Amino acid sequence: MASSQHEQVLVEEKSFARILTLNRTKQLNALSFQMDDPNVKLIILKGKGRSFCAGGDVAAVVHDIRAGGWRAGANFFMKEFTLNYLMATYSKPQVSILNGIVMGGGNGASMHGRFRVATENSLFAMPETALGLFPDVGASYFLSRLPGFFGEYLGLTGARLDGVEMLACGLATHFVPSAKLPMLEAALCAVDSSDPAIISSIIGQYSERPSLKEQSVYNRLDVIDRCFSQKTVEEILSALEREAVDRREGWISTTIQTLKKASPTSLKISLRSIRVGRLQGVGPCLVREYRMVCHVMRGEFSKDFFEGCRAILLDKDKNPKWEPSKLELITDTTVDSYFSKVKNEDWEDLKLPARPKFNLPPYVIAKL
Amino acid sequence: MDRAFQRTQILTNHLLRSSPPSPLSSNACLSYSPPELSENNAFDVEEMRNLIDGHNVEERDWLFGLMKQSRLFNPRVRGGKVFVSPDYNQSAEQQREMTWKRIEYLLGRGAFERWLTEKGEEIEMRRFAGFEVFSIYDHSLFTKLGAHFFLWGGAIEFLGTKHHHEKWLRDSENYLIKGCFAMTELGHGSNVRGVETVTTYDSSTGDFVMNTPCESAQKYWIGGAANHATHTVVFSQLHINGTNQGVHAFIVQIRDADGNICPNIRIADCGHKIGLNGVDNGRIWFDNVRVPRENLLNSVADVSPDGRYLSSIENPDQRFAAFMAPLTVGRVYIACSAVYQSKVALAVAIRYALTRRAFSLKPKEPEVLLLDYPSHQRRLIPLAARTYAMSFAANYLKMLYVKRTPRSNKTIHVVSSSFKATFTWNNMHILQECREACGGQGLKTENRVGHLKGEYDVQSTFEGDNNILMQRVSKALFGAYMAAQKRNKAFKGLGLEHMNKPCPVIPSLLTSTTLRCSRFQMDALCLRERDLLNRFVADVSKCKAEGKSTQQAFLMCYQLAEDLGRAFSDRAIFQTFIEAEATLPAGSLKDVLGTLRSLYALICIEDVSYLRYGYLSVDNGANVRREITKICSELRPHALALVTSFGIPDPFLSPLAFNWIEANSWSSV
Repeated sequence: MASSQHEQVLVEEKSFARILTLNRTKQLNALSFQMDDPNVKLIILKGKGRSFCAGGDVAAVVHDIRAGGWRAGANFFMKEFTLNYLMATYSKPQVSILNGIVMGGGNGASMHGRFRVATENSLFAMPETALGLFPDVGASYFLSRLPGFFGEYLGLTGARLDGVEMLACGLATHFVPSAKLPMLEAALCAVDSSDPAIISSIIGQYSERPSLKEQSVYNRLDVIDRCFSQKTVEEILSALEREAVDRREGWISTTIQTLKKASPTSLKISLRSIRVGRLQGVGPCLVREYRMVCHVMRGEFSKDFFEGCRAILLDKDKNPKWEPSKLELITDTTVDSYFSKVKNEDWEDLKLPARPKFNLPPYVIAKL
Repeated sequence: MDRAFQRTQILTNHLLRSSPPSPLSSNACLSYSPPELSENNAFDVEEMRNLIDGHNVEERDWLFGLMKQSRLFNPRVRGGKVFVSPDYNQSAEQQREMTWKRIEYLLGRGAFERWLTEKGEEIEMRRFAGFEVFSIYDHSLFTKLGAHFFLWGGAIEFLGTKHHHEKWLRDSENYLIKGCFAMTELGHGSNVRGVETVTTYDSSTGDFVMNTPCESAQKYWIGGAANHATHTVVFSQLHINGTNQGVHAFIVQIRDADGNICPNIRIADCGHKIGLNGVDNGRIWFDNVRVPRENLLNSVADVSPDGRYLSSIENPDQRFAAFMAPLTVGRVYIACSAVYQSKVALAVAIRYALTRRAFSLKPKEPEVLLLDYPSHQRRLIPLAARTYAMSFAANYLKMLYVKRTPRSNKTIHVVSSSFKATFTWNNMHILQECREACGGQGLKTENRVGHLKGEYDVQSTFEGDNNILMQRVSKALFGAYMAAQKRNKAFKGLGLEHMNKPCPVIPSLLTSTTLRCSRFQMDALCLRERDLLNRFVADVSKCKAEGKSTQQAFLMCYQLAEDLGRAFSDRAIFQTFIEAEATLPAGSLKDVLGTLRSLYALICIEDVSYLRYGYLSVDNGANVRREITKICSELRPHALALVTSFGIPDPFLSPLAFNWIEANSWSSV
């Protein structure tokens, strides 16, 4: 990971709050791990420029692995996932202002916090399956807890949501028009409390409840549930194909095309990860995702991650050659192996940092 | 004085709103400390779960997820977490409708795909996993599915022939047909051969005529009959030309596609029950019901169009035994689901015991965690060991069943009877102990543990009364003994091979090392089984020598029969534990399982029978008990990991297992 010479996070100290501004606009505010500063009461996290945070700097990770082996990549993810866990279990509320693109690692930095404020500029996605990766940074926890099987839909297709959709499905807790953000920020800086109810009501004063666009996929949750609740990726695809025949709606064929373009290995391990994550606490989710990401970095069963980065980020030909190339070529045993311990000397499972045993807020305890 | 001082201090703290002192000091408000943050896993809980679930783990998680994500499964948020459990405060009528809606939903998601239309090990194991998962959500869901799939579907599969399979199985799998199973009558339960429903053949029209000749012949407890079922398998005496050919099974339509009850059929409700109110148990009377000839399930016997009785099995006893096949698989399902209820209850009770404190040892000291009391460990941890043992035994039983051959039928019958009785009794005992260990909170339906007692009590008597099943086990062992003796051959099968070896000797002084040795443990369990079998045979023979019939002799020797049945079960279960342990490489998983295995063996050896029949001296009895307490304290640090490995997802446990303070806070009212 290219370490930065510049300040990657701007920190402003207000009387009761600490505002962290993600500041690496050049790499679309690629997330780094210098943001952990626990000595504050209320954290406000925001981006600078046109994005909140477009995710971990995947190109740099691939570069590091080429130079220093998979361990270098694993090391990056270990730090990132540890940070995700600290944010998920932080005893003071975090308010993330998602006024722009929020993808991949950016979701890891915000979705685990207590409050997520969307705006008309918000653009959400977890696009990892197109890169040969899988929704990580604790996505198997937060995606799997969305209504019905919307999490599978977002995680497998990488579909994009606007701020209104984020609010509707629960990824955002509030929607505030961007024009009101300066006032919201000022009000939050004046709050002398960590009580989530009080903070929520303050954000509420600036919030709106706009209605979904008519063509929003979230209006088609019934179809999404029927298809994405199926047991396997293959069955999800055939359910979508049946629906496509019945309804001839554009989004269904787009969804099918997207799934067919994504890495088959990624789709299979992502589906399993979300399904298992639905029944686990956030800590075990991150431990499992770390195992998975180590297997991906090692490229033992598939090198799709490197191929995906080549095709999307480096060569930009958008034409990745996945291997294995078809869903049916990937056995359950292969999928299982992504969830097993890495058989490598001195490899260890992700060690979750200790958290205070007493007086954690209930919303944190509920996630363990 | 101390108390008064403490109270003043608490009040002062409240009034001054001073920052609270350490939450463990005796005068602070209690705060919930999540056990995940203080307990460490010494072994990989995922690996352990895979081992004890044994199969189809991914399928299980998918089914859990299907239920968790649907409003139909009544999700509620308590203490910030989602829990799914039926609303048992609904009327029985409403609960039945919800059970049905849940089945429709699962059907639509493909949860029962290929359940009836495919054969073989893979699908049977998948079906077992499905039933176990559904039983964790709700016993009514399990039972209503069970009546349809393994009783109705099983009867058609086992008792029907090709044309029945083709005609009924696919439509049943898709629920175009809703089946039920009419065997039990008001006057006859376990004694199926005594049912009074009568069917005759009318060769002039070529169909059967079925009748309920008296009130005691009404079909009773028929799951699905009261509201939903369209068809049923009826067990009835078959009279051909004035000769009773014994009990046979017939397919009878009881409702039309619109749900109207068919002519000549009367159906009534069984009323409110202590559990299973989501199942529409009904009573059925038949008044000259005409049944097409091809609706006789004819794998064992048939009636020709001109009214001749044809059977491939001449012996009526064997013929009857063949009719009981669907019940065997039912017993396997019941035994396995009982184990999962014990898992739910123990996970709740142990997690609660890791977060609830009571009494300080000294004034001003923090109160003690329930599970740090040796007595509380002694109550719960041996039950966890028993549940691990039952898990391995259940996996063995399932494998025995799916790999069945005509030769293994007898073994399956004996082992499934024995395990069904033992597991369901154990389960009721575990539920009661866990309920008490949860104190008053165990009484709340939403906390599940207490409620499960009402829901699962029925398991002790359905698909065969436990006492009767255990008597059959003893009779089977008696039979094996006589067969070996008569032919002067070695014992083979049912795990009785140890009878061929010299009688094991128990050392006069049992040290800790000996007590934890698997060889000793096996010897001790075999010794009891062997001796009780010898005694049982001797007593039965003595009764017979005094002029009693074999049946009378069995009845007279019921006390020994009960002890022998238990001894067989304990030893057979232990055997499966040893085998599971042997599959593991050295490591932390094997270590903890070894300790659990010792604990399971010792609580079997602690049984009163060891003193009653003199296998243990009083001193050795005390040594066994002392070792049990030692093992309990050794396993205490693993308690959380042991119940996490049960693999019951959080939403299927209950608020008491998590942040019970927040779940009960004023803000959640």
